[in-house]
Amino acid sequence: MRRLGLLLALGGLWTSAALAQETPAGSPHFDHWRHRKVFPTCLTCHPGAADPSRPFWPKPEQCENCHDGKVEEKVDWDGTPPSRVSNLRIKHDVHAEKFHKKYGADSTQACMSCHSSPGAAWMEVRRAVPARCLDCHGITVAHHEAPDSACATCHLKLPETKFTEARIAKFPKPPSHDAEGFYPGRHHGELAEGAKGAEGKPYAVAPSCATCHARDFCLQCHVNAPEVKAIQALDPDPRSLAIEAKLAAPASHKDPRWQPRHGAESRRDKAACSTCHTQQSCLACHRATPAVAVAMYPAGPGRGVGARIQRKPPSTHVGKWADEHARVAKSTPNSCSGCHARSECLECHRPNAASADAYHPAGWLVRHPAAAYSRQTDCAECHNTAQFCTDCHVSSGLRSVGNLLSGQYHDAQPSFRLGHGQAARQSLESCVSCHAERDCLTCHSAQSGRHFNPHGPNFDAERLKKKNPQMCSACHGSNIP
Amino acid sequence: MKQTNLAVVLLLILTAPLRAQGYLLRLDGRVQSVAYRGVRLDSIPLSAVDTAASGALYSPDGYAVACAPGGTYCTFYRPGSSVQNAPAIVSADFTMWGLGLPGLSLHANARAGGDLVGGPWPGTEPAVQLLEAYARFQRDWLTAQLGRQVRRGRLGFTGFDGAAVGARAAHLGLSAEGYLGLGLARGSVLPATSDLLNPFDEFQPTMRQWVAGADGDWRFGYGDVHAEYQREVDRDTHNFVSERVGVTASLHPIRYFRVDGGSEYDLASGTWGSSEIDLTITPHQRFGASGGIRQYRPFFNLWTIWGAFSPVGFHAYRGSAWVRPVGQLELHASGEHYQYEETFTSTALVSVADHGWRWAAGAGLGLGAQWHTALNYHAESGPGASSRGWDGSISWAPSTILTLTADGGYMERPLEFRYEQSNLGWAGLYGNLKLNERLRFNLSGTWYGEDRQRPDASGFDWSQTRIIAGISWLMGSGADRLSLPPAVRRRESR
Repeated sequence: MRRLGLLLALGGLWTSAALAQETPAGSPHFDHWRHRKVFPTCLTCHPGAADPSRPFWPKPEQCENCHDGKVEEKVDWDGTPPSRVSNLRIKHDVHAEKFHKKYGADSTQACMSCHSSPGAAWMEVRRAVPARCLDCHGITVAHHEAPDSACATCHLKLPETKFTEARIAKFPKPPSHDAEGFYPGRHHGELAEGAKGAEGKPYAVAPSCATCHARDFCLQCHVNAPEVKAIQALDPDPRSLAIEAKLAAPASHKDPRWQPRHGAESRRDKAACSTCHTQQSCLACHRATPAVAVAMYPAGPGRGVGARIQRKPPSTHVGKWADEHARVAKSTPNSCSGCHARSECLECHRPNAASADAYHPAGWLVRHPAAAYSRQTDCAECHNTAQFCTDCHVSSGLRSVGNLLSGQYHDAQPSFRLGHGQAARQSLESCVSCHAERDCLTCHSAQSGRHFNPHGPNFDAERLKKKNPQMCSACHGSNIP
Repeated sequence: MKQTNLAVVLLLILTAPLRAQGYLLRLDGRVQSVAYRGVRLDSIPLSAVDTAASGALYSPDGYAVACAPGGTYCTFYRPGSSVQNAPAIVSADFTMWGLGLPGLSLHANARAGGDLVGGPWPGTEPAVQLLEAYARFQRDWLTAQLGRQVRRGRLGFTGFDGAAVGARAAHLGLSAEGYLGLGLARGSVLPATSDLLNPFDEFQPTMRQWVAGADGDWRFGYGDVHAEYQREVDRDTHNFVSERVGVTASLHPIRYFRVDGGSEYDLASGTWGSSEIDLTITPHQRFGASGGIRQYRPFFNLWTIWGAFSPVGFHAYRGSAWVRPVGQLELHASGEHYQYEETFTSTALVSVADHGWRWAAGAGLGLGAQWHTALNYHAESGPGASSRGWDGSISWAPSTILTLTADGGYMERPLEFRYEQSNLGWAGLYGNLKLNERLRFNLSGTWYGEDRQRPDASGFDWSQTRIIAGISWLMGSGADRLSLPPAVRRRESR
């Protein structure tokens, strides 16, 4: 029973606390509509709206004329202006003066022309209705589609306001921001820099930008912020980061041809690249050619971090790329050097004798004859055939010893020494990995042996003789035909 | 020469941190341990040779022997003693900049090491090898390099000690470069005069050759065009060692399509060299294919006699495709068929294939962020040798610093001109530990079990176990560059 009582008590406390949170202790809201028959003019309570030397808000004594606790219950209005935060640059007295000039000094509609909807009854007031402002100022489009020159008419720059970050984060996004090319694209920059005032004088930055954004906002993306006048024309304000901007790659970067083309594009339009890319961004891949990043700005204070590049293989480096890279590397050697230092090429192209894990798959020692006979790849690109192939063949017994006619190795073809011509012309590089020149000259010499002519039908003796007669003299001596 | 190379490397390494405003140094140490059965040349008197019913000659203990006509003895190879090798190499890749002159930088890439056990191992000599060591000066339109350098292009990798000067008009996409120097041997960091490049004691030039050339590039919106010319001249005889031109182009005129092609022409022999053209299509991030034709023609320097033997090339058509149908599954396949040119030879007693083919297919599957598996099959058949087999691997990366991989496979490889079919199976383990962006360790061990089948006793295998350990240590003042992943994928991604 005592437990039940305790639970009920706790439950009651919780309920009270919850209700207390939901119900404001006191609302400063003044119900204009209920007072519509009391006040014939707004200036009775808001004299400052027409005369800036007088207070804008009513004094408590004015309210106590009625709310004295006898006629009407007391109210807790103490005359302190409500802490209402706004980015409007409104001057009520100027507006009132202009209104009265236009409609007559005795018009009571001056305040209502902004603070009520069209056709509203007396004292059916609300906070300023943007559409009424636009009507008066001759703007015929929707609020957020108003021209750049119009925003500053009514609005302060963001740093001039007292908005909280939470409030800034809830700023409505104008329809223009969804237009194609606005972002990502250059259009937002063109709008920021291209706005002109009523007299045709260009703004340093469009007031439409400055109303909702400050310089810090731009730094979320713009590496080139110090060089962009429009960005520098904005005042700094870290609250502007409440509106998050995410750097997005332009459509061109999604084209599979972009990677091979981006170098040429960057040379053509360096400014475009330096908008989003720092030097460090380029060096993420171009570690071997840092000079390509010279045109970019180095990361530092006052600049955006920019695009964060992750080094990853390009789209061509898929499947068995190691086997296929040669044809691309030969076609576009400069493309390779964009990311690869030459020492990386030399890891395989000048093999490390203590490493067996670079290019060829495991078991290559046994497998290599099939690939080498028909030159699946060009062995000499990486191996000096004398130093590597021959040296190993010699130490493993694969060399011609003694009389060539012994035919020890080619035992599956007993007559190989007599019919080796086709194999030799097809795979001469394989032959010379075990045979020395003197082996062949045993028969194929014009001076000794059997004088067998090794030249094929398309052999251009004159041309070779012209280039290197010493080659001819190996077989012909000084009697070169 | 060895002392000079070593001194240059040490000077660069030791002085860099003291003087340079910026430097980057990667030290890479690797050691490999290999044990396998050696071979031993043996001989027996002709009178001791047995003759089989087929007429083949054998030693009394079953080895096929080779007997020279008119000779009194026959030779053969028999299994030798176990051979142990342990090549160990330390590499240093060094770059230094900020030397007071804007655009000036120094680069060096060298290796030092040898076989710790003492046996010969390809590539371990000389003990100090200077791959590159050059000073580079680069301004917006001008580039100049002086020192040992390796150029790569259509005509391959060309090493030389000399100078290169280039200019470019970036706004036009044009660049051109010329170079001159004393050449290195093809595929080596040694000059062609080195004894190490002459295991057969063949003809060899006595002086290093001049190498000179020029190339030009034009990069435009729809591709690249590259042309180059190169000549090598014997300094002793003033004869040509080689003279070639090459041109390549890479075009991507239409979205998703790319055409790569190129050709070489040997001015010395008057023949078109290796050439190819390929079309690559990547219509989607999950699918791509390429196909093309190529010609391969061997190239020999003119100080050898091999060009006079009229070697022929082959023509091939090839294709490959890959698809990622779902998730992290990737399927890939490739194939090539080649046909040799007419050799104009009469070989009635010997049958030699004049064409061949190869294909491969495989799949890779990622299971979350930690696991990756791969399975591949390959088959190839052509003149001289064939092979077919499969391999697979599974990798586990429990964290960003550790990757463990197990792989294995099986392969059959028959030869055409020799009685020998090799059946090979292997299994290996590989671990890569990346302690931080600067320091990496790796350790791997692979067991190879080989079965060689021959009709005589000389089908002895080369079964072996290889253990490889490595460390890579990166240091430098360019801190912004340290977090980059390696551009060359190592074994774990195979």
